[in-house]
Amino acid sequence: MRTQTIRIAHLFPELLNLYADQGNLAVLTARARARGIEVKVVPIKLREPIDYRQVDLIMLGGGSDREQRVVSEALASYAPDLRHAIEDGFPFLAVCGGYQLLGHSYELTSGELLPGLQALDLVTKAGTSRLIGNIAIELPATLKLARSTVVGFENHIGRTEHAHQALGRVLAGHGNNGVDHAEGIFLKRVIGTYIHGPLLPKNPHLADLLLSYALAYRGDERTLEPLDDTMEWLAHDQMLARLNVARKERLEEGE
Amino acid sequence: MDVRSWIAFVVASVTAFVLRVTKRAGTSLPGYLATRISPNLLFYVLAKLDRCVIVTGTNGKTTTNALLKSLVAQDEAWISNAMGANLLQGILSALLPELTWRGQLRVKRAILEVDEATLPRLTQRFQPDMIIVTNVMRDQLDRYGEVDATLGYLYESTRDETVLLVLNADDPLAASLGKGRLNTFYFGLSDWPEDDLLRQEVRDGAFCLQCGGELLYTRTVFGQMGHYHCPICLAQRPFPQFSMRVRERQEEVEIHEEIRLQSPIAYRVTSPLLGIYNAYNLLAACSAARLLGVNPARFEAGLAQFTAPIGRMQTFPGNPPRILALIKNPTGATMVLRSLEGTLNGDPLCFVINDADADGRDVSWLWDIDMESFVLRSPHVSGWYCAGTRGADMALRLKYAGINPAQIQLLENAADTLKVNAEEGGSVYILCTYTALHPLANRLEAMHT
Ligand SMILES: [Zn+2]
Repeated sequence: MRTQTIRIAHLFPELLNLYADQGNLAVLTARARARGIEVKVVPIKLREPIDYRQVDLIMLGGGSDREQRVVSEALASYAPDLRHAIEDGFPFLAVCGGYQLLGHSYELTSGELLPGLQALDLVTKAGTSRLIGNIAIELPATLKLARSTVVGFENHIGRTEHAHQALGRVLAGHGNNGVDHAEGIFLKRVIGTYIHGPLLPKNPHLADLLLSYALAYRGDERTLEPLDDTMEWLAHDQMLARLNVARKERLEEGE
Repeated sequence: MDVRSWIAFVVASVTAFVLRVTKRAGTSLPGYLATRISPNLLFYVLAKLDRCVIVTGTNGKTTTNALLKSLVAQDEAWISNAMGANLLQGILSALLPELTWRGQLRVKRAILEVDEATLPRLTQRFQPDMIIVTNVMRDQLDRYGEVDATLGYLYESTRDETVLLVLNADDPLAASLGKGRLNTFYFGLSDWPEDDLLRQEVRDGAFCLQCGGELLYTRTVFGQMGHYHCPICLAQRPFPQFSMRVRERQEEVEIHEEIRLQSPIAYRVTSPLLGIYNAYNLLAACSAARLLGVNPARFEAGLAQFTAPIGRMQTFPGNPPRILALIKNPTGATMVLRSLEGTLNGDPLCFVINDADADGRDVSWLWDIDMESFVLRSPHVSGWYCAGTRGADMALRLKYAGINPAQIQLLENAADTLKVNAEEGGSVYILCTYTALHPLANRLEAMHT
């Protein structure tokens, strides 16, 4: 079945929009439209229910400590359904604070412990310094994307640890905790990461991966036709060069 | 003065002298060296001031500072860090030229623009007479952490109630600093031209700081500015003692002043700068000038002496003329673009985006600029040019705002924007971040002298 419209639920945009999530939405929208697919962004305000039959992808961004506390207080009602959805392969993009909120708990700099969505086996503790700067990671080879690097910017005081597969190995920058060279999480169709900048403009392969996840969840297994991404890769490669990371390409098997 | 401070003073003075004779502009260098040698020197000098006004906030500090100086410095000299060097070393650099070898100040009044994050370090050891907070908005995130952190710095710095505090009533974040505080005055707009187009702007203060409820706006100006109230705890915009009425396409504005135990007065002022955001800067400056005792009858003469700080849309004459604007955060950039909507007439638009520390290393903010509304109004732009260390990021921002990629050109050097040409009778607009501003302005000056 070919899908005409992808519906993206943007969770709590009134609170969690610290690192320009609009950019990620703009990229997903434009790249879907270029393939003749409409995108409908459904803002879901805090305490409003999510109807999983009415959406194909969820986006959760980050906020300040004050805002994350407000969100955290209301998360319990979302947790059971969300856990099921993730288990069921529902596509999910969580950035920065949103990534932290997917786990068991998130510790504020004050030491206060906020409960998370308990959707992933992941814990975030507060560090003593912020991990800030440009970052480059290498995606797992199993993803078989045309390019294996992801670039962006990170800025977090939280140190995250989990036992799942990481989204990537840190080539330059700090990643989850600045210690184990892992960045983000990659589980079923969930992508969680500290990388903003925002994430998707300079990483069109990741944007397309999310779009194909949204389609696949609806049973539409089509391959997205390639777009002219000269400008995107130029920005991507400039950042790799600045970080002294060699450009990596991985051609899909059989091509 | 202690010995270390005296050595610091000597080193700074010699450096300043060398910079002057070699014609090198290093606005903060003398102060930087001096603060490294002695952190006490700054406070020694500040203590010598008879009067000190501090201007802080996210946007409009430099313009408000310059406007206020033009209003108060008609009969007597005032020191100011007019170049926008607003960290401790920049403040010291501005004060040092007035310090004599005997340790006395020649000019004893100062208006100082101070960075929000720097302010607590200043007010720990020195209390000014007045602090003006223009607004609190999202700035480069990696510098300040978050808007909440900025608000925290300002809160900490304004607890001494002997200091006059002048706040923007229309900004729920800035206004929150005055809750229950003595000696606090507010300014705000009472009426302004309505803008009916739906804007996708970031509202940083959209939530009530008392109870967390969503603020309701009866009218909005831009960003989180407007007439708001909280439907839950009933917190509302404080009453502004200084309120301004702005009319569509009119340079003349009207200020109404209503201070307790005084009879209300009203006066008209001709705004030397266009744009609704400059109306706030002018109002902040006039409010402060009134509180400093300046007669409104003298405002006109003062403003006639005003010259806009660099990067506030000055036109550099030439063929074509080039207009230079500083952009450093989403609200500021959105405001600049909005003011260009009606002006562009087949002119090229250039962006120079750097990511040095002073620019903000995180360029996420480019995606919070309301570029979509700008593009939606289809301004007549003949070409889009991007340069700077993050020119490629800006090019992508334009592409995803709906600009045809074929019309977007990435330039290798910031200076290449000065080679961009306009059609006959047109102008070239250059919007740039902080570290690109002075090099571009210097080249533009040189091109026409
Ligand atoms: Zn309230």
